Amino acid sequence: MEEMLEFRLHGRGGQGIVMAASIFAEAVFLDGRYARAFSLFGAERRGAPVTAFIRTSRERLMPRSRIYQPDYVVVFDPTLSGSTILAGLKEKGVLLINSGEQEMEKLLQELDPEKRCKVYVVDATGIARKHGLTVGGFPVVNTVMLGAIARISGLASLENLTGSIKKRITVSIEANINAVTEGSESVKEVGPLVK
Amino acid sequence: MTFELISGSQAAAMAVQRVGVDMVAAYPITPQTAIVETLANFEARGMLGGEFVSVESEYAALSYCNGAAAAGARVFTATSSHGLAYMHEMTHWCSGARFPIVMVNVNRTLGPPWCLDPDQGDSLSQRDTGWMQIYCSNAQEAFDTVVQAFMLSEELLLPSLIVFDGFYISHTYEPVDVPEKELVQQFVGSPGFQAQVKPNFTANLHGLSTGETQMGLVKSRQEDMLRAPAVFEKINERYFETFGRSYETIKASIPSGAKTAILAAGSTAETVEWFLPELKDTGLIQLRMFRPFPAGLLAGIVREHELERIVVIDRNCSPGIGGIFAQEVKAALYGISRPPVVQDLIMAGGVDVTRELLEKIVQAYPEEGLVDQKWGVEL
Repeated sequence: MEEMLEFRLHGRGGQGIVMAASIFAEAVFLDGRYARAFSLFGAERRGAPVTAFIRTSRERLMPRSRIYQPDYVVVFDPTLSGSTILAGLKEKGVLLINSGEQEMEKLLQELDPEKRCKVYVVDATGIARKHGLTVGGFPVVNTVMLGAIARISGLASLENLTGSIKKRITVSIEANINAVTEGSESVKEVGPLVK
Repeated sequence: MTFELISGSQAAAMAVQRVGVDMVAAYPITPQTAIVETLANFEARGMLGGEFVSVESEYAALSYCNGAAAAGARVFTATSSHGLAYMHEMTHWCSGARFPIVMVNVNRTLGPPWCLDPDQGDSLSQRDTGWMQIYCSNAQEAFDTVVQAFMLSEELLLPSLIVFDGFYISHTYEPVDVPEKELVQQFVGSPGFQAQVKPNFTANLHGLSTGETQMGLVKSRQEDMLRAPAVFEKINERYFETFGRSYETIKASIPSGAKTAILAAGSTAETVEWFLPELKDTGLIQLRMFRPFPAGLLAGIVREHELERIVVIDRNCSPGIGGIFAQEVKAALYGISRPPVVQDLIMAGGVDVTRELLEKIVQAYPEEGLVDQKWGVEL
């Protein structure tokens, strides 16, 4: 936990990944570590691939370059290209996927088993729909994913996540808080990847 | 301390709100947009304290600022890239008329083709316009420097351009200590400069002059600009007493015995600082104030550490000569005894500065002898 940890989030415009990154960073900061969230985008629109990053450390000083070798890769949309998503994922890194079994299978085929990564899945799309979290028919999965990230990383308490959500999200607060809790409870590890 | 997890752009906007301005005139442009959004939001909630003017262009934004400052108002604007280029004519006018305007520029590459990455060519293109320029390396610095810039500008009657990188700072959310408005307002005080025009003013302001008159005015601008480091230091001493933070115009972090230093401005400086322990015998010189250029202080750092080599990271390029910071560093060190070799790493286009790249420049340059210019894309 002393080391700097780097997260890379992959999703599409409209899924709320930039918002998710800042909520997570705030919750991690409230839990006592320094944290930063940032994103890269051009002239983004709904559906376009978006990447967001989180860095956290016990120290304030952290690099300001992009993240090329993340400890955690979080996939909000498993239909994104596998090679982009998995690029640079550290050995024994963590992969969290919003799945979709078919898509997950495809993605996992591209994951090098030698890296001995831990893989977790959560049905964020299903949970978001269940809680009525959709915009124009598209599920907004960010808060479900947040619950799952917090659970597997152990870096932010549900209480701080909820506090940050209340501060930063102005609609469907109740549903979003329920989504965080369900995301946290239903994320599960996929068995060891042996080919 | 009251920490908030906010972006560099939000930090800059909150500093403006905390200081209290009479008018903001601004036009949104990526990646500066969040500054305008945050200030407009303050106004919508009745918390700005001054007027927010939505203008039709950046040229109009700075013209509004000129008019308001002529009437003695404390004003602010912010822009990026093509927006700053469009303001160019007015930037000369602000400093010539001695208006203490504070502007934030969020670095973004000038096109074509369109590019959003943080090339410093937009702010460096305004090098000779008579604005002070300070480069920030994180969101806290952005907040503190914007607060201080109002005091600096109003003391010297010169405009300030506060600069930070697009995305790496503007869109990075991080913990920032945001002091209460009352505390900041009390610290900065109300604007003490005189209005040049009053409601029944009938004379011609800034009318036709001779070259001789102009020379006198430019000379006094130059003399006042050169007072900036001392005024800046005084402000920072007081700032430290009140807020517990202070900044230097140029900052050296050089391990004992290191004969090589990397010189960088903006967010790159923090990246270099982080990797220093892994870069053998290498130090960092963070350039914060670019105008006026702290030439004497730089020479002092070189002498104190007996530096033999300075690698300048330039996220910019002036075609025909090279990286602009490197040119300024060379000029500042000309004529000192045993000057260091100055090598220029050109990262035009605002290309990401990574650990791999830093290792390569520290290791690769000496093997190649006195190569004085290298492009990031070649490494």
